[in-house]
Amino acid sequence: MGNIKQKDLILYSGLIILGLAAPYLFSAFKVQLTYLCVLIVLAMTWNLQGGEMGYNTFGNILFYGLGMYLTASVQVGMFFPLAEWTESGGEKTFVHTTTQYFQGIGVGLLVAAIIPAIVAGAIGYAILGLRGHYFAICTLGLGIAAGEIAGGIEIIGAGQGFTTPPFPAEIVDNEARGKFFYFLSFALLIGTFVFVKYIYGSRFRLILNAIRDNEDKAEAMGIQTMKYKIVGWMCSAFFCGLAGGIMGGLIGYIDSTDVAFDGREMGVFMVLMAILGGKGTLWGPVIGATLFHFFKEGLWTFILGWQYVALGVLIVVIVVYFPEGLMGWLREKYPERFGEVIDEKDRKAQVELK
Amino acid sequence: MNKLVKLFITSISAITLALVSFTSSFAKVDGEYIVLGSAISLTGKYSSNGVHTQNGYNMAVDRINKMGGVEVQGKKYKFEIIYYDDESNPKRAAQLAERLIKQDGVHYMLGPYSSGLTKAIAPVTEKYKIPMVEANGASRSLFTKGYKYLFAVLSPANQYLEVAIDLAVEKNGGKPVRIAQAFEQDAFSQDVRLGILDAAKRTGSEIIIDDKLPKELNDMAATLAKVKATKPDVLVVSGHTKGALTAIRQISEMKVDVPMLAMTHCDAAKLSKQHGKNSEYALCASQWHKNLSYKDKFFGGGKKYARDFQKEFGYDPPYQSAESSAALLVFKDAFERANSFDRDAVRDALVDTEMQTFYGNIKFGPGGQNVAKPMILFQVRCKGDDCENRVVAPTKWASDKFYHPIPKWSERS
Repeated sequence: MGNIKQKDLILYSGLIILGLAAPYLFSAFKVQLTYLCVLIVLAMTWNLQGGEMGYNTFGNILFYGLGMYLTASVQVGMFFPLAEWTESGGEKTFVHTTTQYFQGIGVGLLVAAIIPAIVAGAIGYAILGLRGHYFAICTLGLGIAAGEIAGGIEIIGAGQGFTTPPFPAEIVDNEARGKFFYFLSFALLIGTFVFVKYIYGSRFRLILNAIRDNEDKAEAMGIQTMKYKIVGWMCSAFFCGLAGGIMGGLIGYIDSTDVAFDGREMGVFMVLMAILGGKGTLWGPVIGATLFHFFKEGLWTFILGWQYVALGVLIVVIVVYFPEGLMGWLREKYPERFGEVIDEKDRKAQVELK
Repeated sequence: MNKLVKLFITSISAITLALVSFTSSFAKVDGEYIVLGSAISLTGKYSSNGVHTQNGYNMAVDRINKMGGVEVQGKKYKFEIIYYDDESNPKRAAQLAERLIKQDGVHYMLGPYSSGLTKAIAPVTEKYKIPMVEANGASRSLFTKGYKYLFAVLSPANQYLEVAIDLAVEKNGGKPVRIAQAFEQDAFSQDVRLGILDAAKRTGSEIIIDDKLPKELNDMAATLAKVKATKPDVLVVSGHTKGALTAIRQISEMKVDVPMLAMTHCDAAKLSKQHGKNSEYALCASQWHKNLSYKDKFFGGGKKYARDFQKEFGYDPPYQSAESSAALLVFKDAFERANSFDRDAVRDALVDTEMQTFYGNIKFGPGGQNVAKPMILFQVRCKGDDCENRVVAPTKWASDKFYHPIPKWSERS
């Protein structure tokens, strides 16, 4: 046991060092690396909900978009009148000083974490009674509705979109913005990972699994499933909101349906990544998101105009050949490496029975 | 576990190596080529206009290269463009702008299609101090953010249909009119809407229907039903190509009678070809029309441009293509005046631009918008089954008189 722990330690410290060194090693790829961190966070938080609890949600994009709008609104609203900032015909240009910018984004991210979690609690209370497909369809509607509603609210720019505050001009270093957002997202990634890993070792995960495997039975065992389902979703929302806030600052422009409540892309990607890697595992979403991101960035440009066809093929391949994801596939192939002991005799006996 | 960890570490190092070797950056000026970058919508909801934009860029690059290229410090250079597909998505566009600048080493950018995408790219080009000449981002908010490296060859969006309201008031004997309007939920169309609001305020006109249309625009029957019931004097619709097509299709299906129909993107949607007589009398705002009398030495005049474009791509150039071609002419002019590849020198030269192209006069205002070129209005008119866009305003270029009011469907053959 101690041996494995040491191995883990080497692995984790190796990854952290790689993560810290990455923006210096691949200076030109900082933005893609930031995206990667955010994608992993989204996949991991989706996995908490869809993989561990068995409630397939398409609604996490709601928290992501909410976080994005909240961070930007707070960042602007703390120092300037928000309505004048987003008014497109406005002739006034407001400029954040360096301190204002960082104070704003700090407070903004805090709000972007807490409010989505509260919203998840409230919505969860209302709809987590639904199960299976009903829940999935209901959450699908959430993201779409949010996009349409946000597109009608004038104070956050409505259909015009919302330009987030530009990085302070006083910082002359061109690389500073890239580094800032990278390290922010990397910190979020580590935070999320540590949190999820903590959950993996806790009774909470077992309860979530129990809900996934047989909710009625879990309830009969005396577990207040509703309570745990809501808390589980709130945890997802907390990190999704933060991820959205960071992305908003990085992209620099928030559009209601294409950037914030982007269910068609981000909302589907987070599900896809978790399934690609293997849902219900700790490393699955991480590996899935990484592979997906490399696939997307690498191949996208070589097949201009056909990239979504390629993505469609990828989805089919994943679902047909790796229904349990890469981790699930590996686990089936090499169960002993996952610490599962197989009784050869028993296995053979079962094969014969079939 | 042991082997798994090893496998993982090996694959990470392999990827690391691959990336490091890939990072070797290209140069802004590569041998005899000046490399420009552009993220363009080849897929997604703006794909048709994205292609119009790309064709416009390509046409100008070919022409300029064929006619001697760009002369900087006594040496001739040719233009080359690196394209990526932004999928009509602002998030993707911002990411690709970063990629063009950081990974492909592009030092000069051409704009994407649509205001929303330009809004997403501008903060990136601004951060890296990359001059961007854009031809398809008309939203007014682009020019009030204090961007220093953004230059637009087109007139701002709020000017698109303001004139149409003035025209309606004039036809109404100077009395205010009742306006029905429906705009797509995007940066450009919403800005057109602001222009209409201004015009309505100025003329004392009343807005009786003010609808928002979704982005994937395929149906506006609800708005049209209201129009049928309330009988406004003017119906204004803006929603890029899909908006124009949907409006005409449903207006003719539902036989909606309205005295005046003002729209955008009629030529990009090839309305007169696709819907023929059903689109007759539609009034359209346009940045450019081939009958205008502007000239330059690369494309000659508008008519010659249209002929050459037709030969090359097989359709009549919409203004989106013309303005995109003009962006390249602006870049060429700026490079030659700057006589240097220094980004700030090029940027300063762009600020001083004052030139005539086949597309119109170009001179940049303090916000980067083109202040030297008016918008024009044309009306779709048919002879038999042959429909054409005829310029009706401003009077300097008008080839036809504005036909008003639109005859009722029951009276149309």
